[in-house]
Amino acid sequence: MSVELWVAIIAGTLVLATPLVFAGIGEGFVERAGRINLGIEGMMIMGAFVGVWAGSLGGPLIGLVAGTAVGLLMAAGMNLVVYRLHANEIVVGLGVTMLGLGLSTYFYQLWIPSGETNVTVQTVPRSGFGPLADIPIVGPILFGQSPLVYLAGVLLVAAWAVSRFTRFGLAVQAVGTDPASAALRGVRVQKTGASALLIGGALAGLGGAVITVGTIGSFTPDITAGRGYIVLAIVIMGRSRPVGIALGALLFAFLQSFALLSQSTALTLPSEVYQSIPYLVTLAVLVITSRSQLRRLYRTTRATRAIRPAVETKGEAT
Amino acid sequence: MKAIDRRRWVLTGSVVVAVLVVAGALILFAGADPFVGVQGLVQGVSSSPYRVGEVLVGAVPIGIVALTLIPALRAGIFSVGAEGQIVVGAIAASGSIFAVDQVLGGAAPSILLWMAGIVGGSAGGAVMALIPAFLAVRWRVNEILSTLLLNYLAAGFLGWTLRTWLASPEETATPQSARLPEAAALPALLPGTRAHWGILLVVVVAVAFLLWRRSAASTRLTVFASRPKLALRLGATRSRTVYSTMLVSGVGAGVVGWIQVAGVNDRLLNSVSGGVGFSGLAVALLGGLAPVGIVLAALFFSALTAGAVGMQSATGTVPASIAEVIKGVLLLGVACIAAYQRHPATVLAPAGTTSAADEPALSAALPAGSGPEPETVVGTLAEAEHRGGLR
Repeated sequence: MSVELWVAIIAGTLVLATPLVFAGIGEGFVERAGRINLGIEGMMIMGAFVGVWAGSLGGPLIGLVAGTAVGLLMAAGMNLVVYRLHANEIVVGLGVTMLGLGLSTYFYQLWIPSGETNVTVQTVPRSGFGPLADIPIVGPILFGQSPLVYLAGVLLVAAWAVSRFTRFGLAVQAVGTDPASAALRGVRVQKTGASALLIGGALAGLGGAVITVGTIGSFTPDITAGRGYIVLAIVIMGRSRPVGIALGALLFAFLQSFALLSQSTALTLPSEVYQSIPYLVTLAVLVITSRSQLRRLYRTTRATRAIRPAVETKGEAT
Repeated sequence: MKAIDRRRWVLTGSVVVAVLVVAGALILFAGADPFVGVQGLVQGVSSSPYRVGEVLVGAVPIGIVALTLIPALRAGIFSVGAEGQIVVGAIAASGSIFAVDQVLGGAAPSILLWMAGIVGGSAGGAVMALIPAFLAVRWRVNEILSTLLLNYLAAGFLGWTLRTWLASPEETATPQSARLPEAAALPALLPGTRAHWGILLVVVVAVAFLLWRRSAASTRLTVFASRPKLALRLGATRSRTVYSTMLVSGVGAGVVGWIQVAGVNDRLLNSVSGGVGFSGLAVALLGGLAPVGIVLAALFFSALTAGAVGMQSATGTVPASIAEVIKGVLLLGVACIAAYQRHPATVLAPAGTTSAADEPALSAALPAGSGPEPETVVGTLAEAEHRGGLR
């Protein structure tokens, strides 16, 4: 395998990881607040569709904003149904995903009836680092990317800072760990959880829009292809922390990029093996994470003699 | 349940209204007349015996998947892996049918091929369900995520299978297996339609679960969902519960894989699962984990899919994917109703109003003097009952 191929694979890794990082950082807040958003796949695909549609009217920036807005809207609806009407989080999440997949397909087919050519919108223009991008190897990887890749990096640092150093970040952590104590300490549990979910929804919508408006430029039904579920796995792998999530996203994206680009090379494995490797490795890492989390749980609870309740709460996500 | 709650009916009514409003708005948005749309929907479902048969054919896999998910969902275990279990079940079923046929030199009797299909299918589905069960029991891997990821692995396995060891000998546009031997096909139930004998299997499974619902095992699972410690005293350990419920759902999905191959397509196709797994989960929840409700919901889902195609051809503009939107709205509505049922009931229902059948089992299981006071226990069970598997 040549150097150029590896450069292409690593540059592609960053591109593929970007939507996962956006959605993952949002979901990280949701899960640190003790909630789970299974509607993330639906929010991402709606963001992807609305992003392209709005992008065709007002340019890529409008598309990204619209994608974020639709994710936010869906999260607000989910918050209403789950935390005001007390419906089951998992059922509602699956419902939101079904709704998102259905609505995006419905409006897409209305917009572009079958037989007509798909609309391709202008994607976010490449950033102009000029001569820096011409540096061999490092140039295309670090300086030739879409601005969204850098935005994901900035967001990552911001999310880390927010969760570490701000009142809101600590409140989210407190609400997720022990809502009763948090409430006693004056943290508004419902409001904090709702804010986390809204952040998660908005970033999921943005992540979806990044897939279409950021790189591909057009929408096809089911374009997210389960990325939302991958994000959920990544967040658990990364223990809901921004850095861990970013590493998980990079791992999955690297394997995907590798699968896409190395199929054409001399390595003669069935193409299905390449396509399955990202999912297989994600599952393997998920198992390793769960195992080490379980061990830590036993170690800490053996000391405090609170084994049963701690083990039995379904808090494996925290 | 006995006391008819007016507000619950209002809530149910408003969900129905919401579905109608959403559907009407979507049809209007597409520039069509909602009444023409509804007409098309009805025609798409009932205008010919063939179409009625199609609704039944579509409802069979969804119904079986949903019915066999009852135990898992009752226990609060969300297995989203039916999709992958159907795929692996279908592969195993086709493989074993071809194998048996080859061993007997192409003259295998139908009954043998059916047995091969059932055994192969359920074994494939079971293996695919036991992996996440093992991971969940041994290392507490979240079963929602492990089953979702396994679905992708199953899809990859199917793609490879259809290119290699089960590939059709002749050149085809889409990857598919060779045609199954004639004798392996499920006979048609209604002449002139694709409706096959698998329909009766749904009835059998539904009746079995109707009876099972009254058993102690069913109650144990309900208790497990909300009070795992109490369930432990009733003999439901975590590992036994997870393994057994996942196994039931895996076998069900695997059999569905066989039915799709032997009853509908006559060959293994890439689209063998086609969203049936997710629809099955939605239908199980929609039917409130009750067998009769699930059968009705499965028929409704299938009719909606078939009817939406009719609507598309009647109006000319409304995409058939409107069915998916309606299903999503419906699932959200049902989640709200279930939440309403759960919440006030625990507050309003006085302790001791649970069905009498639960109490002897409980007092037998709890030695006197140990554990919480009897009243609290009954209250807990009542709560567990109302919380249902939807917890």
